[in-house]
Amino acid sequence: MVIIAMKKLCLISTIVCLALLIIAMPLAGCAPKPEAQPTKVLKVGMMTPTTGAAAEKGRVMGHANLDAIQYINTELGGISGHPVEVLWLDSAYDAAKVVTIVKRFMDEGCLLFTTASSKEMSAAMEIANEVGFPGIACFSSPVLYRPPKHIYGQTPDYGDDALAFANFYLKNIWKGKSGKPKFALHLLNNPTGYGARDAFRAKADEMGIEIVSIDEHAATTTSEIESLTRIKAKKPDVLFISSTPAPTAVIIKNAYELGMYPGVTIGCAHASFTKALIDIAGPKIVEGVYGTFPTVLWGEDVPGMAKMTEYCKKLHPEDYGNMDYITSWAQSLIVAEILRLAVKNAGYDALAKGDAKSWQIVETQGFHKLKNYDVEGLQGPVSYTPGDNRLTKYNRIYQIVNGEIASPSKWMEAPLVEYEKYEWFGK
Amino acid sequence: MDLPCGTRNFDYASDMAVLRTRTHWLLFFLLLILVFTAPLYWSNYWLSVANLIGITIIAITGLNILIGYCGQLSIGHAGFMAAGAYTTAVLTGKLGLPFIASLLCSGLSAGLIGIVFGLPSVRVKGFYLAITTIAAQFIIIWVINHWTSVTGGFVGIKVPPATIAGFSFNSEPRQFYLIMAITAITIFFAKNLARGRVGRAFIAVRDNDLAAEVMGINLTYHKLLAFFIGCFLAGIAGALFAHWSRFLNAENFTLADSILYIGMVIIGGLGTTIGPILGAVLIRLLQQGIMYISPVLEGAFPALPAGFTTGLGPMVFGLVIILFLILEPRGIAHRWALFKAAYRLWPFSY
Repeated sequence: MVIIAMKKLCLISTIVCLALLIIAMPLAGCAPKPEAQPTKVLKVGMMTPTTGAAAEKGRVMGHANLDAIQYINTELGGISGHPVEVLWLDSAYDAAKVVTIVKRFMDEGCLLFTTASSKEMSAAMEIANEVGFPGIACFSSPVLYRPPKHIYGQTPDYGDDALAFANFYLKNIWKGKSGKPKFALHLLNNPTGYGARDAFRAKADEMGIEIVSIDEHAATTTSEIESLTRIKAKKPDVLFISSTPAPTAVIIKNAYELGMYPGVTIGCAHASFTKALIDIAGPKIVEGVYGTFPTVLWGEDVPGMAKMTEYCKKLHPEDYGNMDYITSWAQSLIVAEILRLAVKNAGYDALAKGDAKSWQIVETQGFHKLKNYDVEGLQGPVSYTPGDNRLTKYNRIYQIVNGEIASPSKWMEAPLVEYEKYEWFGK
Repeated sequence: MDLPCGTRNFDYASDMAVLRTRTHWLLFFLLLILVFTAPLYWSNYWLSVANLIGITIIAITGLNILIGYCGQLSIGHAGFMAAGAYTTAVLTGKLGLPFIASLLCSGLSAGLIGIVFGLPSVRVKGFYLAITTIAAQFIIIWVINHWTSVTGGFVGIKVPPATIAGFSFNSEPRQFYLIMAITAITIFFAKNLARGRVGRAFIAVRDNDLAAEVMGINLTYHKLLAFFIGCFLAGIAGALFAHWSRFLNAENFTLADSILYIGMVIIGGLGTTIGPILGAVLIRLLQQGIMYISPVLEGAFPALPAGFTTGLGPMVFGLVIILFLILEPRGIAHRWALFKAAYRLWPFSY
């Protein structure tokens, strides 16, 4: 009897302990919201794909996000005296993780959140839009914010790249020639490519451009000789590529081997156009290729360059020269500016809880009040225009000269395209 | 079945009962109380983690039936989940079908696709079968990416919240009850399947298919049935994932996910009902734990470069898998069985 009684006691104790453990674990992770910002901090959620399939970009972008926040807190004294507290999480480029991460950002009183990639924002946007939790996607595609809701694009999207290059081409290269220029599109088979395709579908006629072919390729492509042979037969004036560096290099190399290039003008969207393109394809082959990019180059004489370079060389010297670092550093500066405006216009107390009301205030008094913020010259000026959730509308056209990305054009404004008005959009 | 020391069953019904002792009932009621009251004290974030765990349990319970009970290796489980997820996305989002009907259709579509890719199992096994199921993973994803008019292609597709008789499961607590209910049904189904005629046939096929055939078990039927059931559950899990995440893209269902699911089943314990539960809970909580600890470490060591914790996740997962393979290759379920045996015999050592 004693043994059975002891056994029961032991069992009940174990059950109670286990139950308490299970209950306590989530409780440990969800501190009450009023205490979420005990030291009057401004809390933001940032996710980057620091591990997983896009780690090469995500790692650098995560470094830049956090380095910039460190700069804001230590050298600028935070935002109106309030330090920025970052809840930074690695999404591992995994949609299921992104869903739990964005819910954690909301639960822990973050005032807004950022993503590095359009894939992360694709997974987060439905949940965030439903409750009005504002987010900024570093790299974006029109599907994220057309029609506009609570998701914003930091840089011009892949469709804007295409139109910016087309405008540049018409004004500077095609100038004086008669008839319509013939464009051939070579697109990565995901939103990076489809953003450009949608832009041309919407605007080619209006701009006076004839699209002679649209070809798709995979990120793992190793030869595009076959598709380029077909394209060559159509005698295009322009080959526009919206992809990532490795497949872009394959396409340009193949065009070179087929004798298409030099001859045809090659333009690239910003995901294609980094130093990696030159490294992979070789400087001789990509000489003269044009590309769009939403930020300045390393070493340019702009106000924010010195500080960013100092932090990069001090904390992450291996990232120096990587333009993704500039983009994410700029993203953190934009976040700070949004919060500064929100604090200025509504006061800290209105933001203290980090709840749905605070999100609404951040959006109306922060995002919507952005006007010509220069981002220390690192990218095009940032403004909010009603009905257009692209915070930056400006791109620059670069050209590869003597093996270096150089010869930037002036900032070129990308016009708003209301894609949702086209019945084919998103289908 | 084992019983606590000094007790025995008096009839066949008690011997076959899932809950056989008062302790079982007590634990069961405690679990019910915990589940029903969880939304009161768990934040939305932890509920979302619980929902993800529930979905994962359903998916890998299917995989466990396929691999653990029937011995048919499948490395395309995420692909079968994708089939179910897109089925419900199209049926509820585009055709306006009720959630319950689309959920069943999701299971059926994934199950039927599973049968198609399971056909080679009649002739091949082991690594050869693994290759055919990898083909399923790639082919399903390829079709999703290129059937743009239906699936949204590479861009993806929005999914409405699950709705039953006008009641929308549009918040995390509501989804929690829905997912937990379906998870419980799945576990109960798997438990009964495993100890029934079909389950015993699966085990016979797994242990020695020639001997099983000699005993009169129809190999083709049972192998394809295992594929159907395993993939049916994957389809159900995929459908729940779709309504939970509200946006689908083929990149949600990668080969890495398929391999992760196999890892979960192995860590949990192949061929047991509790194995998938333990494997899913451990791995998903580990993922969250690493996500949780990274910012804490970042804050605790400000002198170190920002982002220094990025290698933590892969290192811990690698370590866990290595430790399990070395120390407990039969999974946590075996460790749990040893604990139960020791408890039931206590205070005797034999």
